[in-house]
Amino acid sequence: MSDLTLQRQAKRKLNGKFIRNQVFSWALVLPAILFLCLFTFYPMGNLVHLSLYRGNITNPYKTFRGIENYLDILVRRPQFMTTLKNTALYVCMYVPICLSLSVIFAVWLQKARKINNFAQTCFFAPHLVATISSAFMWSWIFSPESSGIANGIIKVFGFNTHNWLGSSSTAMVCVMIMNTWASIGHHALIFLSALKSIPGEVYEAAELDSSSAVKTFFKITLPLLSPQIFLMLITMTTNSFKIFESVRQMTGGGPGISTKTVCMFIYDNAFETNNTLGLAGASSIVLTIILMLITLLDFKGLEKKVHYQ
Amino acid sequence: MAEIRFEKVCKFFDKARIIEDLDLTIQDGKFTVLVGASGCGKTTLLRMIAGIGPATSGHIYMDGKEITDVAPSKRDIAMVFQNYAIYPTMTVRENIEFGLKNKKVPKAEREALIKEYAEIVGLTEYLDRKPGTLSGGQRQRIALARAMVKKPAVFLMDEPLSNLDAKLRVQMRTELIELHNRLKTTFVYVTHDQVEAMSMADVIVLMNKGQIMQEASPEDIYNDPNNVFTAQFIGTPPMNIVDMPDGNKMGFRPEKVKMSDVPVQGCYCHKGEILTREMLGSETLYKIDCGEYTFMVKTDKPDFAMGEKVFIHVANEHLYFFDAEGQRIRKTDGENQYAQLLQNAGGMSNV
Ligand SMILES: Nc1ncnc2c1ncn2[C@@H]1O[C@H](COP(=O)(O)OP(=O)(O)OP(=O)(O)O)[C@@H](O)[C@H]1O
Ligand SMILES: [Mg+2]
Repeated sequence: MSDLTLQRQAKRKLNGKFIRNQVFSWALVLPAILFLCLFTFYPMGNLVHLSLYRGNITNPYKTFRGIENYLDILVRRPQFMTTLKNTALYVCMYVPICLSLSVIFAVWLQKARKINNFAQTCFFAPHLVATISSAFMWSWIFSPESSGIANGIIKVFGFNTHNWLGSSSTAMVCVMIMNTWASIGHHALIFLSALKSIPGEVYEAAELDSSSAVKTFFKITLPLLSPQIFLMLITMTTNSFKIFESVRQMTGGGPGISTKTVCMFIYDNAFETNNTLGLAGASSIVLTIILMLITLLDFKGLEKKVHYQ
Repeated sequence: MAEIRFEKVCKFFDKARIIEDLDLTIQDGKFTVLVGASGCGKTTLLRMIAGIGPATSGHIYMDGKEITDVAPSKRDIAMVFQNYAIYPTMTVRENIEFGLKNKKVPKAEREALIKEYAEIVGLTEYLDRKPGTLSGGQRQRIALARAMVKKPAVFLMDEPLSNLDAKLRVQMRTELIELHNRLKTTFVYVTHDQVEAMSMADVIVLMNKGQIMQEASPEDIYNDPNNVFTAQFIGTPPMNIVDMPDGNKMGFRPEKVKMSDVPVQGCYCHKGEILTREMLGSETLYKIDCGEYTFMVKTDKPDFAMGEKVFIHVANEHLYFFDAEGQRIRKTDGENQYAQLLQNAGGMSNV
């Protein structure tokens, strides 16, 4: 065989290998891309399309309205803005409270005590219960009659019974308490696993440096948890913006529309009232844009403060 | 200023008995070096002094006051951890400053101290960097500076120079000795490195499997070992040990052996053949096959060749004797017995 044929053979072999590699890589990512297109990008495009029309489920594209739907929800009719405000209020209560409680809880669980395994299980269990069932249970707890546990408790302390879910000042708080209860174990577990990866000597060094427990928490533990806190902040914010079942079950959006959330507004327009599918579509698009903006802001504003190992 | 005293201290991890019935006094103001093989309990001992790994039983005293249950922060102790344990989220400056801030040292004084000690450990230009962007040796120096800056009554160091290059290590060693001379506080220093131990220590504490084998000055621990373990641990290469027909053991240091072409009378003398020869510069290291044993010999005579037949001989005053358990038998333990041992040693000569 001449040098040339050898070279050519080598080249062909190389080419064959290159092509095989390419085919293999594409084969691996193709299913994911397919799913993404089918269930994310296509519906997304469809949604934009939908939001420009007036129609219902059976006939979504009855009449073209252009940006009229957007003007309706953002300017002409106040209901969307009210639900957006309700939702934002909920997020502003839920995220900081749930986040700080789960960090504190994780720090408490960190010490290897017998009771902690038990407590961990107890706090995690609600996460396994369907939201709708939890919401149902908490509706009983906050029941307006004196049979409700909450009312039972405050009566012991000599206060009058209160219509927890029926008053606009407490209804959203009750929903928040229920959701915190349901998710705190899960969040704490994530923080706990991060805490367990911090070497014990760092804490011992802090002890020798006469650092108080509070100072150790703020100066050492919290900065070391910052990647997890950042991640949880973003997922909790976006998830709680989409709150739906628990409110629907516990308050039904009431009293009035004082606890009605954006997703409930979308649902109602899509499936309950006639010829408002386009409004639902436009609201969904606005919600998506808001969530994107918040995530972007989080990244821009906070990522520099996050300490990655 | 502090003296640390251990009284019948035990430390168990679950079932593993790491330290049992330990009695030890670490003298006030002395530079004490703890040496011992890996896993013998040196770190465990330091942690008990610091109060971060409490003793299972027994008592620890500092200047006569019991500190067994005193919180670490109340002990006036600083420690350099074996794996540094620096605060990963703080800059070098914040790491050094943390203990000072907690002790409410005023800002101006803090600044001056940080400047001074950053200079000593050579980290001035890295003060605003995070530890994650520094090398292992640089991190180790943060740990050193963080401990030094507190000027504690007791200064614990767990292999603080292990990750530094030879030049920096010598430099830091001098700094530490100077620091000790200046502060005159109690230093407890753990190392694997014999040279480091010999050159820095006022007192060497040699540990083995949680027991103290010997506690003495570098000179005494080298010249007057209490047992076979000490004799073989200190000195490179280790002491040659021979079993005697009467059940005792005889030992002699490689550097005390003389070599010659002809046998020598009136001392322990043995013929042998040179197996290997290592030229170390001013000295030469020979490994010599003497039948039942191979001996190490370190001498200033470089002109013996490999394979050559030689005679080694050791003067009586350089022979050490140990009983069957490895405990030293000294002349002061009985003149007659010692004379007998010397005679037996001479009888083991083979020329
Ligand atoms: N937390 C622990 N749990 C169980 N065993 C331990 C623990 N810490 C140390 N030990 C054991 O105690 C013994 C002494 O450990 P120590 O860390 O004191 O050794 P050391 O002398 O410092 O060794 P080195 O020179 O390698 O640092 C070892 O056998 C080790 O396995
Ligand atoms: Mg150690």
